Amino acid sequence: MTAQRSIDVAHLPIGDVSDQAPLWWGQLILAFIEASMFFILLAMYFYIRLSYDMWPPPGVQLPHVGPATLALVPLIVSALGSYLASEAAKKNDRGGMMLGLGLNLILATTFTVLRGVSWYSFNFNWKTGAYGSIVWAIMWLHTVDTVADMIFTAILLLLLALGYTGVKQRLGVHVDSILWYFIILIWLPLYVAIYWGPYIVGAPK
Amino acid sequence: MIAIASGTQIFCWIATMWSGRIKMRTPMYFVCGFIFIFVLGGLSGVLLASVPLDLQVHDTFFVVAHFHYVLIGGALFPLFGAFYHWFPKFTGRVDDWIGKINFWILFVGFNLTFFPMHLLGLKGMTRRVYTYPAEMGWEHANALATVGAAIIALGGIVFILNAVNSYRHGDVAGANPWDSGTLEWATASPPAHYNFVNLPAATSRYPLWTDPKERVVVTGMCDDRREILVTTLMDAEPHHRAVLPAASIWPFLTTVLTSIGFVGSIFQFSWYYIGMALAFVGLLGWFWPRKSVEAES
Repeated sequence: MTAQRSIDVAHLPIGDVSDQAPLWWGQLILAFIEASMFFILLAMYFYIRLSYDMWPPPGVQLPHVGPATLALVPLIVSALGSYLASEAAKKNDRGGMMLGLGLNLILATTFTVLRGVSWYSFNFNWKTGAYGSIVWAIMWLHTVDTVADMIFTAILLLLLALGYTGVKQRLGVHVDSILWYFIILIWLPLYVAIYWGPYIVGAPK
Repeated sequence: MIAIASGTQIFCWIATMWSGRIKMRTPMYFVCGFIFIFVLGGLSGVLLASVPLDLQVHDTFFVVAHFHYVLIGGALFPLFGAFYHWFPKFTGRVDDWIGKINFWILFVGFNLTFFPMHLLGLKGMTRRVYTYPAEMGWEHANALATVGAAIIALGGIVFILNAVNSYRHGDVAGANPWDSGTLEWATASPPAHYNFVNLPAATSRYPLWTDPKERVVVTGMCDDRREILVTTLMDAEPHHRAVLPAASIWPFLTTVLTSIGFVGSIFQFSWYYIGMALAFVGLLGWFWPRKSVEAES
């Protein structure tokens, strides 16, 4: 192809920490795929409920709302850490990124511990009928996502501590925050379903 | 419901052909054959959707005829057409003449095989049977279908032989044997590993049909590493350059380590956890920053 004009791009920067980066879009689409999994599980939860007279089925206690609701506080505040880190990543501010990621990691750990406390109080497990299976499936999938992102955050923190602050690492910090926002947002409907669902739609038909 | 969507599709194809300048070469033969067969399959589909007729021909050869018209018309003929369309691009060779014969063999064979099945179905021959009583009066149509099947097989053989022959002895295709307007025809046939020396910028839907004076290329990309140009989402203005990973052993190692976990878990489940830990190590090695990349950014 012979061309008369050319666009010179030699002056353009290498890599970019913004929503223009392909990785940012990849992460967003990953979040959509993951969200559709969660919505399928939610649909299953309510579909299974239709087959039972009482919800939860007899022998299973009503969920303890306390620890799970308390866990929402560190979870929601942890978004602040992600936000600080991603803003610092755009400005190439190593200290700000480490502060944000560190705050995020501490609050995420607090959330996960509180979730563990709440989970420990269940008097059923994944083998206890369809109710136990679906609640455990939802909890498991969300916990896997949470822990995976915490590992991701910890590795980024390690890289920053070692002095790797290249554009790839900063973009990593930026998309890490996207994934964490998703984990927070998707937990809210799941939390309502698991902990309040039995109180709202649990009465015998 | 399906008829509405499929009908719209067919009218779109007709409109596309109507507004284009058609060159009757092999790919176009297959496209025309596809529309012809697919429309017939679609019409018998509309018939099947009406309950009185469905009661009559349910589970008969009419259904077999219908879905072969849909599937072979809708999938196989376009695939053959696509193969003949892009064969010059990925081999650099083109042979139009035998391709047209190939089309006619397949088209005749297909219709000879499956059209009689409509009639067999209306005469009551049920599907999924390997034989039938001699006095049913189905012999002639079935014999035709058998001959047709042999002709389809012949068409398959001709297709393979033609592909091999064209690859070895076909005419040199050049970059754009069909005078197409889209960018894959701008580069050499077969394309080099880098596709384009200079990335072309598309200024219209059919960049190769625009005035050569209007053509634009991108310059200034690095040629010593895998670099791509990222543009803005809506306006496609050049925004930044992104460096893709260089060749690395780590993806392979990660695959091996993951496989150890999964194969091991067949024998003992704890291998699953070991495999996950090993895969984590692999991923860490894969994503660990390289000094050379750091120096550039």
